[in-house]
Amino acid sequence: MQINLFQAILLGLCACLSSMPGLGGTTFGNYTLGRPLVAGLVVGMILGDIQTGIIVGAAIQVIYIALVTPGGTVSADVRAISYIGIPLSICAIKGMGLDPASSTARDMAAALGAAVGTLGTVLFYGTATVNLVWQHMGWKAVEKGDFKKLYLVDMGLPWISHFICSFLPTVAITMAGSSMVDLMKAYLPMDGIAMKTLFTVGSLLPAVGVAILLKQVVNKAADFLTFFFGFTLAACMGLNLIGAAVIGGFFAVINYKIQMLKVRPAVAGAYVDDEEEDI
Amino acid sequence: MKKLSKKTLNKSFLSWFYGNLTCFSQEHMQTFGYLCSMFPVVDELYDTKEEKKDAMQTYTAFFNTEPQIGTLVVGMTAGLEEAKANGEAIDGETINGIRAGLMGPLAGIGDSLIVGTLIPILLGIGLGLSGNGSPLGAIFYIITWNLLMFFGMKFAYFKGYELGGKAVEILVGEQAQALRDSIILIGTMVIGAVAASWISVTTSFEIPNVINLQSTFDSVYPKLLSAATVLFCWWLMTKKKISPTMVMLLLVVIAFVGVLLGFFNPGLSY
Repeated sequence: MQINLFQAILLGLCACLSSMPGLGGTTFGNYTLGRPLVAGLVVGMILGDIQTGIIVGAAIQVIYIALVTPGGTVSADVRAISYIGIPLSICAIKGMGLDPASSTARDMAAALGAAVGTLGTVLFYGTATVNLVWQHMGWKAVEKGDFKKLYLVDMGLPWISHFICSFLPTVAITMAGSSMVDLMKAYLPMDGIAMKTLFTVGSLLPAVGVAILLKQVVNKAADFLTFFFGFTLAACMGLNLIGAAVIGGFFAVINYKIQMLKVRPAVAGAYVDDEEEDI
Repeated sequence: MKKLSKKTLNKSFLSWFYGNLTCFSQEHMQTFGYLCSMFPVVDELYDTKEEKKDAMQTYTAFFNTEPQIGTLVVGMTAGLEEAKANGEAIDGETINGIRAGLMGPLAGIGDSLIVGTLIPILLGIGLGLSGNGSPLGAIFYIITWNLLMFFGMKFAYFKGYELGGKAVEILVGEQAQALRDSIILIGTMVIGAVAASWISVTTSFEIPNVINLQSTFDSVYPKLLSAATVLFCWWLMTKKKISPTMVMLLLVVIAFVGVLLGFFNPGLSY
């Protein structure tokens, strides 16, 4: 499967919009277009195979489900994961004739997505560094009191940074990468150690994403029990994710009520309906 | 008595909503987004160029927080700037003190509540809806997330503007704490379910007629290896302080050794 220039340009534009200091803004750019699940849909539409796009996007999404960037340090940048990693994974899955719905296709996508994600870190620091030039112009404008120019600095000129650090790399890599798949197929047989390792890594990687999230929310050992409650519901009882959210919501309401009792215990009983208003 | 018009406040909010990180650098982070969103406010409140320059000078100070929850701070400063223009006892230094004091705590709340909980819940549900390659989950996420954030941030901006310093209570009061804990509880549970549904670590190790490791594990606790892998990664990151990237590299080594030993085998051929 080949990615043509037109498709590569669209992918490049999406990369500009979706990265962390991206031009789609934080909410719609980074946290919407940049999420691999959404990017799976977008890339699927661009490449003309929505189903494979979504499956690949969802597989990669699990690894980056909690991509927190505290204080502007990134462990991976979404523009590369989503708009270079996903297209390449789709090409690889198709080129190798894997069934997109199989778990092997998911493992492949996870491994490729994470590998490309590390490249994204370079692009992130590149963009931030080029932006310093525009900010320098911005400080001059502030000194002169020419504040209208700030909008150009904040929202216009960074397009140039992104043209260099998002658009060009995406176009170049996606166009070259799709032909790499044939090479991979020729030189790296599926039952060889390299490919076995690749697929195994793919199956292990989502655990890192979940662990990053746990690091955020687990403060004491008892918090693990909440995690394993959800885990057990899904693993042993086959509950789906919406079901888990509903049950979680139920326990959250109970938890909230108990905590609020601790906050205002004084006349509990007499003012029970006081609690109701807060929900 | 000067009063900011609704139009100006909206313009200031939209500038922040879109531009909070567009011109990011390691040195100034969200400072330029902040300047852009304060300019309409300053422009309306002050008449002479000198006054405007003076007022804008306040916002050249470094600013960085979780930008979505940080909208509250932007709204607050719009309110404070209005009070300052009306001659109340507030100066640029006070405003900057408040801004600097809130950056850290709000970043902590925003990172754990929005990025660490709300997004994973919505994505978790989205993953569930998209399991078979259906676009439904992605569409669900796009719509719910953007609506929640746009109106949530707008609410935060205007609450901050109206309440000033008191707005912080919404986020750090005891009731807010209870609510936050409860939302994080949902998130932790959904993440448990995501882990069980989407992580599939299996072993191919067996000695015929003696032991089939995978079915032994399955009879102990389904998905035992997947759960163990998560705990292992968590342990490495929290207790050993290893970065996520290094953990990923370590997993590559483990996978390689595991394949050599016949512990892992995806069992594929062209």
